[in-house]
Amino acid sequence: MADKTQNSTTDGGVAAENERTQPLGLPRWVSALLPIVLLVLVLGVFAFTSPLAGVQSGEPLPDVTVTHTTLPSDETVVLHVTNNGPESVTISQVLVDEAYWNFRVEGAGGDQTLAPMESARIVIPYHWNPGWDLEVALVLSDGATFHNTIVAPSQSPGFSLSLLGTLAIIGLFVGVIPVALGMLWFPYIKTMSDRWLHAVLLFAAGVLGFLAFDAGFEAFELAERVPGAYEGNLLVVFGIFGALLLVQAISAWREGRVVAGDSRASSGLWIAYLVAVGIGLHNLAEGLAIGSSFALGRVSLGAFLVIGFMLHNVTEGPAVVAPVARGKRPSIKHFAALGVIAGAPVILGGWIGSLAYSPTIGAFFLAIGVGAILQVNWEIARMVRDAGGRVASATNLLAFLLGLGVMYVTDLFVAL
Amino acid sequence: MPSIDYDSAADVTERLEQRLVESLTGESSVSRRTVLGGLGVAGGAAVGLGSSRASASSDHEDEDEHGNFGAVGEYRDLDFDPHEFLTAFNTGDSGQDNVPQQVYEEDGRTVREFEFTAVDTTITIAPGVEFQAWAYNGQVPGPTIRAVEGDLFRVKFTNLGRHAHTIHPHLKNLNPRMDGIPQNGPGVLDTGESFTYEWIAQPAGTHFYHCHSLPLKEHIHRGLYGTIIVDPDPERVRENPRDYVNYPGPITDDLRTQLVEEAKSRNHEYAENDAVNEMVMVMNSFDTNFDGGNEVYAANTRAFGYGVGDTDGNGNWTAGETKRPIQIDKNERQRVYLSNATEFDLINSFHTHSQFFDYYDHGTTLTPTRKTVDTIMQTQAQRGIIEIDYSDHEPGLYMFHAHQSEFAELGWMSFFEVV
Repeated sequence: MADKTQNSTTDGGVAAENERTQPLGLPRWVSALLPIVLLVLVLGVFAFTSPLAGVQSGEPLPDVTVTHTTLPSDETVVLHVTNNGPESVTISQVLVDEAYWNFRVEGAGGDQTLAPMESARIVIPYHWNPGWDLEVALVLSDGATFHNTIVAPSQSPGFSLSLLGTLAIIGLFVGVIPVALGMLWFPYIKTMSDRWLHAVLLFAAGVLGFLAFDAGFEAFELAERVPGAYEGNLLVVFGIFGALLLVQAISAWREGRVVAGDSRASSGLWIAYLVAVGIGLHNLAEGLAIGSSFALGRVSLGAFLVIGFMLHNVTEGPAVVAPVARGKRPSIKHFAALGVIAGAPVILGGWIGSLAYSPTIGAFFLAIGVGAILQVNWEIARMVRDAGGRVASATNLLAFLLGLGVMYVTDLFVAL
Repeated sequence: MPSIDYDSAADVTERLEQRLVESLTGESSVSRRTVLGGLGVAGGAAVGLGSSRASASSDHEDEDEHGNFGAVGEYRDLDFDPHEFLTAFNTGDSGQDNVPQQVYEEDGRTVREFEFTAVDTTITIAPGVEFQAWAYNGQVPGPTIRAVEGDLFRVKFTNLGRHAHTIHPHLKNLNPRMDGIPQNGPGVLDTGESFTYEWIAQPAGTHFYHCHSLPLKEHIHRGLYGTIIVDPDPERVRENPRDYVNYPGPITDDLRTQLVEEAKSRNHEYAENDAVNEMVMVMNSFDTNFDGGNEVYAANTRAFGYGVGDTDGNGNWTAGETKRPIQIDKNERQRVYLSNATEFDLINSFHTHSQFFDYYDHGTTLTPTRKTVDTIMQTQAQRGIIEIDYSDHEPGLYMFHAHQSEFAELGWMSFFEVV
């Protein structure tokens, strides 16, 4: 059949036969739309007649999440809240350290009522103390309370160019520079035998595997703070699979190109770019974490932490360049591009994290990073196999383990 | 309470001291103070004086098996001396160096003027445990101010803290502007602002003052409170004896004389007052971890501050000892002006061992409101006068503490050493 339908698409699919006869001789689009139209009709009937009205028992429980808090000045506390429940909720009172306190709700259409899925800011004029925990509770109109503790409060930096500059410098140090330094191993890697080169590739896979777990756990942890209506855990699962399948789809498309005779697509450079993208996505998430720490006023980026990040990220450099160790050396432009793709997202992530932080965004980016990394590892295994190596040789397995181990040790230096 | 063998106590202490010093010889990083601090605990525990032991036994062989309670180490912050604080009364003509004060006549009234300054500071609440406090004149509890009934307190208050503060007196105050609350008069005083509060000293008794800024819990439990003592005026007592008794029967001449005598013993301007040993105690507590519960309890801020330390067995405590009993003369009448500043807990209490006392709730009467009791309780801001007589007792250590065992073991555990 594939032979008959000549217009094979670039994604490897085939065009459907359009010669099939439709029932009753209706046009095709009618049979495509009919189920949808009927569904709308049924939904309409259901909504207007409420056949299950007698079935409902009790009220759905209110559910409000404080996703995060910001402290724009030492006289102000801002809670970012989302209504997760199926019904509207009204925030009638706010308690600060078990005392009723005045407040105003911003971003909820001028009242204190949040529709389902609606988010708002609760602004509390309160002279808080740096480092002294604050316990804030929202009292809803039905008396239900939702508590949130602001541990060791410190002032949020707010938006400023100097903050963006600071984050860029931090990103440069923890992302771009270590990756670039790690890439300087390239000449050495080039002189290695196949066996050791494969070991280095598996080492890189170990590094990435560690990052996948690291980011994965963090994503699920963060998902707990995602408002319930957004299904944080499923969002993370979707992010992981989404990224994995998307990158894999690109990879499959590349193979189609190779078959079609595009030599550029067959080179290790391609894999190197994929690795760089995977690491870049991971570093984006790392940057988000740094940026959001700034946004939440919870940053202690001492020299030690920066050193930890540098040690941690320097191992990402060889991972990027190992795939291009065979064949013609790519031009220096490619190296620069690889380094930037892998390292610079720390800066971007820092900016996003500091300006538009939310646990939802954070968890989703982390998940995307995990998916991308898993795909890269898949790609590396294939690369070794295609080069005639055995992925699960003793050397390779130990190299993979070493990759995990090195990352574990260097991760101990990074506790944000 | 305990059977105390001072000689054996001294022996054991000396032995322990020797052993500890030997074990530390050559370690230049260990100061003598540290050694003594360790000894204080070891000594107190070893002699079984009961300071840091749940069971006060003179059998001192089994100390280590059971372990001891009590804070380890010595107080290194010497800015505040709880023993000095006990008897530091600011009357306008005499008082503490950190409380500028004067007394003068104005419109036929005695004015006692004090300068109060609210500051942010760090105090030590248990050995090695610091607490970020807000304090009047840098001390917690704040300075004790004292006047005679009918005098005028003039308190020039300046707020140098980073939060807004006030002073709210628990006095019969006829002018709402002077009430020291956010809604009246000057309201709260922001950083750098000043206000002069004027309060008539009435009624006679022992009273409480505190900051009334919001959030109230924070402003009180961070340390902004203290004691006001209003001495009864014997002449007024003679004329209006009914104001000073909670008693409906006839006022006989004997009763009148008795009340006047009592008033004189309460009034710092009378010689009769010198015969009484007067002490101020504020039961307070500290939430160090923001969980809305207290980690440290004390009388006058320091956990175990009046606990047992290291003694030579003759009532002389090692110089520099920071945890030591309150030494009292058995032939002197003892009077405690007690108030409760404890936050987060509903009540606090005062209990004496082997002793009963008379209690004058709020100190506003000259006859006891509770007679012959050994335990009283106070809610926050409640206060009263405790009169104790140790003349019948043998010399030695007599414990007093909160009879919430939890509070006692968290620091509110003290001793009188009767000599």
